[in-house]
Amino acid sequence: MPIATSNFLVPNGTFIVVLLAFIAVLGVIGKYVLPVLNKALTERQEQIRGELEAADKAKADAEEADVERRAVLEQARGQARDMVTQAQTTADQIVTSATAEGQVAHDRIVASAEAEVVVARQAAVEAVTARVGEIVLAAAERVIGREIKASDHQDLIDEAIAAVRAETSGAAASAGGAR
Amino acid sequence: MGFGSNLLTPMLGIDISVGDHVQRQVFGLTINMDIVWATLIAGAIVVTLGLILRAKATSGVPGKFQLLWEMAVGAVQTQVDDSIGPRGAKVVPLALTLFIFIFTCNLFEVLGIGAKLEYLPAPTSDINLPLAMALYVIVMVHRAAIKNRGMGGYLKHYVAQPFPPKLFFINAFMNVVEEIVKPVTLTLRLFGNLFAGGLMLSLLAALVIWKLGPAPIGAALSVPFTVLWKVFDMAIGAIQAFIFALLTILYFDTAMAKDEAH
Repeated sequence: MPIATSNFLVPNGTFIVVLLAFIAVLGVIGKYVLPVLNKALTERQEQIRGELEAADKAKADAEEADVERRAVLEQARGQARDMVTQAQTTADQIVTSATAEGQVAHDRIVASAEAEVVVARQAAVEAVTARVGEIVLAAAERVIGREIKASDHQDLIDEAIAAVRAETSGAAASAGGAR
Repeated sequence: MGFGSNLLTPMLGIDISVGDHVQRQVFGLTINMDIVWATLIAGAIVVTLGLILRAKATSGVPGKFQLLWEMAVGAVQTQVDDSIGPRGAKVVPLALTLFIFIFTCNLFEVLGIGAKLEYLPAPTSDINLPLAMALYVIVMVHRAAIKNRGMGGYLKHYVAQPFPPKLFFINAFMNVVEEIVKPVTLTLRLFGNLFAGGLMLSLLAALVIWKLGPAPIGAALSVPFTVLWKVFDMAIGAIQAFIFALLTILYFDTAMAKDEAH
């Protein structure tokens, strides 16, 4: 092939050939390559958008569940607090009523014991009084040397009994005050 | 011979010619066969990469290959959206193809060794391919402008701005010059950068004949300089591809904008 030198600034027939070559390349890229690439790009964008949306939704769901969980927890805490308070109140009530019942029982027992004491003391005084009468009479008989009829000196006996009674009841009263 | 002339000898002594091509006449037209082959191979590479992507494209997790494509498309898409808006969707394939194709062509320069005829020259270092792409872009831009404004609006646009309609003559002159300059600058910017890159490789290769007495200083310097230059040149190739695509988008933006917008 001949080698020739030409003015390098003047185009020649090469122009037409390389222009056609360029247009052919442009055609292939524009018709067969770019659409496929753009389709892939668009599809990927869609996929990414879909995934982002799904992620957003999952996040929103999780937040909602968290809020719900907190609410339930708070409710449970409130209930527990109420239960404790109620239990405390009930316990206080039980203690108070038990104390009151105990006091009542205690008072009743003490009262009945006092009554028994009084009755026993009365019985004892009466027994002692009767016995004192007899002893006085026996002593008087022996001193006087004759039988003394109780009926004849009823006044004296009664007087003595009254004296004894006054003395014992005074003692009982002082014993009651001391208790 | 003095030291100074020794230093200068290689620079003066070499003959770096430009515009050498393997040529053939077809229907009376001169065709640069090396540029045609290089263009077809670059096109085949781009098309193959595209078809591989088409076969492998997935909406799932993309591989590195697909990610690279997606990055390029994303960058172009963002640029188009930012400047033109949704109406510019049709510009995306053109801008993307321009970027990838020009970038691939520019990378061929890395294979160059600074020879008179490279096996695979960067097709963009020949004026024909940049001119072809620039004219294609400009024709499409004007087509979009006519579609957008109607033929009347399109013609009116030349005389109605930037100055008040009274100065329509100046307006028309400025606008016509601007529209003619657009494809020319688009062409020369890309061509010039790549052409200069190839020239630079030739100069670095020519350095080899520089000797100080028996010491091959030029040869020793030529290798690291060439490596550095090629790294730099790859960046230039990427930048030029980006600029070409970006300007395409901006020209479409101007053409598709409402009348008052600029």
